[in-house]
Amino acid sequence: MEGSVEERVKKVVSKQLKVQPEKIKNESDFVKDLGAESIQSLELVAAFEQEFDITMDEEAALDVKTVGKAIDFIQNLLK
Amino acid sequence: MKVCVFEDDKIDQLYPLTFLRPVFELRCGATKLWEKIARFYGKCEIIYRMREELVPVFGKRFAGANNEGAINDDILFINGRMLVLEGKAPPLTGEEEIGIKSDSVVFARLKKEKASKAAGNIWIFLESIKHAVPAKETDIPVISFPWDLVNYNPKAIEDDFMASGGGSVKGEIHKLACVYGDENRIRVAPGAKVHPFVVLDTTRGPIILDESSEIFPFSRIEGPMYLGRNSQIMGASRIREGTSIGPVCRVGGEVEETIIHAYSNKYHDGFLGHAYVCEWVNLGALTTNSDLKNDYSSVSVHVKNTAVDSGSTKVGSFIGDHTKTSIGTLLNTGTVIGIMCNVVGSGGVAPKYIPSYCWFLNNAFSKGYGFRMQTETARAAMSRRGVSLAEEDIALLKHVHEITKDDREEAVRKSRMQ
Repeated sequence: MEGSVEERVKKVVSKQLKVQPEKIKNESDFVKDLGAESIQSLELVAAFEQEFDITMDEEAALDVKTVGKAIDFIQNLLK
Repeated sequence: MKVCVFEDDKIDQLYPLTFLRPVFELRCGATKLWEKIARFYGKCEIIYRMREELVPVFGKRFAGANNEGAINDDILFINGRMLVLEGKAPPLTGEEEIGIKSDSVVFARLKKEKASKAAGNIWIFLESIKHAVPAKETDIPVISFPWDLVNYNPKAIEDDFMASGGGSVKGEIHKLACVYGDENRIRVAPGAKVHPFVVLDTTRGPIILDESSEIFPFSRIEGPMYLGRNSQIMGASRIREGTSIGPVCRVGGEVEETIIHAYSNKYHDGFLGHAYVCEWVNLGALTTNSDLKNDYSSVSVHVKNTAVDSGSTKVGSFIGDHTKTSIGTLLNTGTVIGIMCNVVGSGGVAPKYIPSYCWFLNNAFSKGYGFRMQTETARAAMSRRGVSLAEEDIALLKHVHEITKDDREEAVRKSRMQ
């Protein structure tokens, strides 16, 4: 896998939500800033699991609201 | 003499219908399996035994569920999957005997000395004494798979109609509604209403409209048909023969030979045939199931992780409690959807098996919102109908969430490999 966790998270977010990479900041809120619908949140969780080969608790994952928090969440799982 | 209704080891063949209820709570015709048993044995004391996880939810409704009501009498044990139809059921009194169908004990009549040894799981006890009591093959109907309920449903409605006194009109049939066929084959309970321009066709069977049910204009209803208390048939619907709709449902579109257990909605157009739909289900507009293959071969259905040949060419969907489908969802013949699923139509036909608590969207499985959020959604849906979700209900849901975990994770894993 190429790139840091941060780069890979942003790449997944860009692909899933169809948002230009330069618009994705750590403080970006998935719903308010990036326009994620509820169903897309589920798809994002699935895409993160696939990208990092991890299993995320659905409820905990869906409580993550920003890109930065998602990076932290995944980094913790990868430890 | 007492009757003891029990669950055996085949209840998992009826998943997802039996995840949240004892097998004898399943509906066939206008009544549930236990109601037919209770009706047949009249005033005889009846106790019910069920899976441990169901007791907190059903214990107050069924005598003996908490293992009270000691088995200290001559007992007629009745398998909760037995369907009393056309007055066929084992007699209360007689010599000790066991009635067997395939490899299942359908009933066992035992004297007090033997019966009093029954403790804990009744089915295991009966298996242990099977060879110590004269056994005979019985032809009494038994529900072995979900499609059996659907196949027996038309006959069961006829049976319930006759057993409950036949035709009578105590509610309202508007003068511009039409009864096509024998008017004595209709029972309209108090408070039930049939609006103008509704056709009630009794040429092939009776129609039972239970208390405060309502049929809106331009609908055609074919008997045998049962509409439960406080349920509604929406305008311009076609409810074909062999359909039972339990209490507090709203049903529209075209429905044929289907059982809708209770508290479920299929408000809009779309076809549902040869299906069993559990409680708190919502089928989005234009949700449609196939119930006949294009090559007219028999339909296979997912049962306990294998495809079982139903032996029937007409088999629709079996949909667990609290499941929802989106607008335009297409379901294949013999589709099984667990409880608490969310199926989003993506133009194609959904998979034939969707494990409980799974979401299916964009042609892929996902784990969905998780237990807590889906429980809250269920609570919200139930409160709209004035029903509360008790702690015992949540514990039972949690149990099903746990026992279906592997299935769900396997579906998600396979989906990602594609």
